[in-house]
Amino acid sequence: MILRETAPGHELDEKQKAEAARLLENLERQVGSLKAEMLK
Amino acid sequence: MKCGNGIEARQVNELCINIDPIQAGGKLTGDAIKAIIAYGDGYSVCDNCRKPNRLDCIAKPPIAQFHKEVASWLDMDEARMMPGARRAFQAVAHTYVKPGDPVLLTALSHYTEFLAVEEAGGVPCEIPADADHKITPEAAAAKIDEVKKKFGRAPVLALIDHVDYQYGNLHDFAGIAKVAHESDIPTLYNGAYTVGTMLVDGKALGADFVVGSGHKSMAAPAPSGVLAVTAERAKEVFRTTQIEGDVTKRRFGVKEPEMMGCTLMGATLVGMMASFPHVKERVKHFDKELENNRVVMEALLSIEGTKILSEYPRKHTLTRVDTTGSFDTIAEAHKKKGFYFSSALNDKGIFGIIPGATRVWKFNTYGITAKQARYLADAFVAVAEENGLAVKP
Repeated sequence: MILRETAPGHELDEKQKAEAARLLENLERQVGSLKAEMLK
Repeated sequence: MKCGNGIEARQVNELCINIDPIQAGGKLTGDAIKAIIAYGDGYSVCDNCRKPNRLDCIAKPPIAQFHKEVASWLDMDEARMMPGARRAFQAVAHTYVKPGDPVLLTALSHYTEFLAVEEAGGVPCEIPADADHKITPEAAAAKIDEVKKKFGRAPVLALIDHVDYQYGNLHDFAGIAKVAHESDIPTLYNGAYTVGTMLVDGKALGADFVVGSGHKSMAAPAPSGVLAVTAERAKEVFRTTQIEGDVTKRRFGVKEPEMMGCTLMGATLVGMMASFPHVKERVKHFDKELENNRVVMEALLSIEGTKILSEYPRKHTLTRVDTTGSFDTIAEAHKKKGFYFSSALNDKGIFGIIPGATRVWKFNTYGITAKQARYLADAFVAVAEENGLAVKP
């Protein structure tokens, strides 16, 4: 949703950057879980 | 990214400010996007369907609760989710209109309201709009009198848009409903542009039926919508089946003929449900939406020759403008002809103006942020200046 709220320039303010960082960390954690489960 | 079979992933709302007049209120919330992926399989919501085996009675996911909440939110007694507002018009028209019956519409009614009347065999009787493109209670009263003289009876149903699709004007629905009720005409509130964007109180408005569009104004996938009704009308529109097979003697329980049994299933329904908490919250802040629209309108009106065709100041974000005296004056000599305008806007990351339109066109600022409104306003002025149009300071 951050992409939608900041289109078209996608210049994130500090709050949005923090939220984006949190979401990306979550995503990385989920990808890590999938790797661990599926490729073991 | 490809979705298969030549389908490109759509990124319009991620890459652009989308001011398409019919798309603005239907942009999905993050929760709806997750829900439609999770419930995309065909009969996904039927995993826990138990007696009485009807969609609006399913407890998990909380579909039954959602139906109750939507009815309450609109201050009506019962609600059903529909595959679009048009299917709600159809259900109501089919219930009340018999061939040859006069039906009250307006000069600004959506075509699907006409089609619903046509399918039921009704005769459309349009309340004319005034010079300001408004439908008034006085004009409604005059039309009802005219119908009574012509048909020897009052219209059997009125379908009235609170905000019309052509100008985005806010009409006096409550006043019109009052006039209609004086002649015992059940009145349908078409809230395709209001249910989900503005606070709607069906009882206060005097509506017998409230219709909303999920994909137009409730941040939901298409096709989705809602039909909410009073307890009195629920017995009629939501009547249950009485049919019986002559050989098998089968009957079909509590299925509702006008709903064709179960109505809105799967991803569309769950998408609506997922967006609903956000929708309930956003309708409380329509003043901010109008403020964003004002910023954009002031910029457009600063471009000499631009006129607004909708009522002004705006009461809704869907707006119709006439740029025959501004942007259209460039089109003739421009190498891209009339396409230069939408093309220039696209280059600035703005989507939703009909390509080639430079005379009369519509846009909708609903759902954009204040920062995006400022960007949009500046973009219109920039396109004007880049093409040598005069802009008031």
